[in-house]
Amino acid sequence: MSDDTAESESPTRYVESPIIMATVRVVAPFVFTFGLFVMFHGADSSGGGFQGGVIVGTVVLMLGMAFGIQTTREWVGPKLPVVLVGAGVLAFLLIGIGPVLLGGAFLEYHAYGVHHASKYGIELVELAIGLIVSGIVTGLFFVIAAGMRNSGGETA
Amino acid sequence: MSDLPALLVVFPIFASIVVLLAGLARSRTGWPIAALASVVQVGMALVLGSRGFGDEPVRYVVGGFTAPYGIELVVDGLSATMVVLVAVVSLGVLGYARTAGPRSNPFYATYLLLVAGLTGMSVTGDVFNMYVFLEITGLAAYALVASGKGGRSALAALKYLLVGTFGASLFLLGIGYAYVATGTLNMNDLSAQLAAVGYTSPLVRVAFGLLVVGLFVKIAVFPLHTWQPAAYAGAPDTVSGLISALVSTVSAYALIRIVFSVFTVDFLAANPFARNVLMAGAAVSIVVGSLLAVSQSEIKRLLAYSSVSQFGLIIGAVAVANGTALTGAAIHLVGHAIMKGGLFLTAGLVASTTGARTVDEFEGLGEYLPVGAGSFCVLALAMVGVPPTIGFVGKWYIALGAVEAQAWPLAVVILSSTLLTLAYFARLIERMYFREPVATSSSVETAESKVAIDVATDGTGTPPSMGMWATVVAAAVLAVVLGAAAFEYGQLLEPTIEHLLT
Repeated sequence: MSDDTAESESPTRYVESPIIMATVRVVAPFVFTFGLFVMFHGADSSGGGFQGGVIVGTVVLMLGMAFGIQTTREWVGPKLPVVLVGAGVLAFLLIGIGPVLLGGAFLEYHAYGVHHASKYGIELVELAIGLIVSGIVTGLFFVIAAGMRNSGGETA
Repeated sequence: MSDLPALLVVFPIFASIVVLLAGLARSRTGWPIAALASVVQVGMALVLGSRGFGDEPVRYVVGGFTAPYGIELVVDGLSATMVVLVAVVSLGVLGYARTAGPRSNPFYATYLLLVAGLTGMSVTGDVFNMYVFLEITGLAAYALVASGKGGRSALAALKYLLVGTFGASLFLLGIGYAYVATGTLNMNDLSAQLAAVGYTSPLVRVAFGLLVVGLFVKIAVFPLHTWQPAAYAGAPDTVSGLISALVSTVSAYALIRIVFSVFTVDFLAANPFARNVLMAGAAVSIVVGSLLAVSQSEIKRLLAYSSVSQFGLIIGAVAVANGTALTGAAIHLVGHAIMKGGLFLTAGLVASTTGARTVDEFEGLGEYLPVGAGSFCVLALAMVGVPPTIGFVGKWYIALGAVEAQAWPLAVVILSSTLLTLAYFARLIERMYFREPVATSSSVETAESKVAIDVATDGTGTPPSMGMWATVVAAAVLAVVLGAAAFEYGQLLEPTIEHLLT
């Protein structure tokens, strides 16, 4: 391969750009809010946990672009994506098991006895899905950005 | 505990997350948690399984909806069998994995996720739900295959991913066609609606074709089996044992469910072409799978091609579509899971003890590894179909069913499959017991070569543990003992089979 050397250099190359950093600083909170907005609209309109989760996950991607992937990786830490995924699945399971403990069937939201129970139930599930998806997007981004150097390592 | 059908699927997912999160605090905590979860899973599966063998299947609608709209879980004798099989085999393989397998927490998290997917496929009564669990199973299986160290397992997993996704997409497309034709996804409701639409309607026929071909990919029936030998041979030994025992088995269960619960026998009667394709697939798979197995030199690839051939028998039973053959299919599914899982684990045990991974390296194994060779021999003979074993009972029922249905060409192929199976296992058995050990490689006397082998055992890093031996021997014992119980099991299954065929 002729461009072998160029490829091995590219993952570490990071150019600090004040324009990108400033833009990301301004845009990131809006993107994050928009992600939550999409998540909250899963029950009664288009939107939902998958799309919202990806948008929230892209916040971390933008930070990586602006401040360097290595810096962002250290800031986020290796455990956060796994915790997000775990917490999301656990939240979903708890929402499902709750009605069973209250004497209903699995995922029977009405057993909670709240007004519009199924709407809020679905909304909570969407938020849980959003957690999972954002965790996975973040984790995948770091794994891919790490390149093939640590082949055979674990991907968590 | 009327919520058991749902809990049975939810519990392994929960355990999987616990393993994943526990891994953050301490690594290598995966095995104990997974083992505990599997024991609980076996208990729940047995309780639910005993209920499934009643006259009427256990029904449960998730979320308190009414049946055709909500997702229904249905447990009859066949799904109860699958649920118990999945739980027991995954517990058994865990016993093997303790010292042999990958030990990381993500591995055990994926392992439990696979159990959840397989259990879900077994209990669901909704075709779209079945697709979701088919994908969970598939994704977990790809990840497990990729958990090996070398590039070989990564490549095998990629191949498996591409072909498996293709199969799942066809399955989804088939569901789409069925939905367009009927407007429902509930299996029970679908079978009534499809009959109303008419079995000769092109929409219904296309749906059947797509669903069946999609599952053929997942089962690894001959022309669509290309992912399977690479995946089984490239995966770590523990994973080959688990996947070969369960993934194709539950996919074959899904095929039975789709053909008989959704499309029903009347569809097959109205479309002789569909039945002929099933029969042709079965016959080709049996013959070509065996021939390919004979030509392999690597043990794990040989076993993999053997699976292609054995699942041909199951497809044959589906094509024959009478009570006897379906009973045989159920028995052979269980039998094949235990025998093939056991064979893969034995092959892994032999490989980690002596380093023997090819047919030639098995020479003289009976002399220096009597227990390993003995288990392998028993399991191989069971797979051939020697009478007291479960392999015999399954094949007997399927052959009998083919004769009853007067499907003579298929009956001949099924009977000759025994000979074909013997062809590839006889090679191994002959090498294990009637040849001298391969001492020639080191060119010293046999006494010293024994010492050399012992030293090599200590040197390879994973000397087989009690758990590995126990699992392998238990599989061999089960293959024989279940043979005696299989006829009674066949009678227990009668109400379920009647339900399927009406």
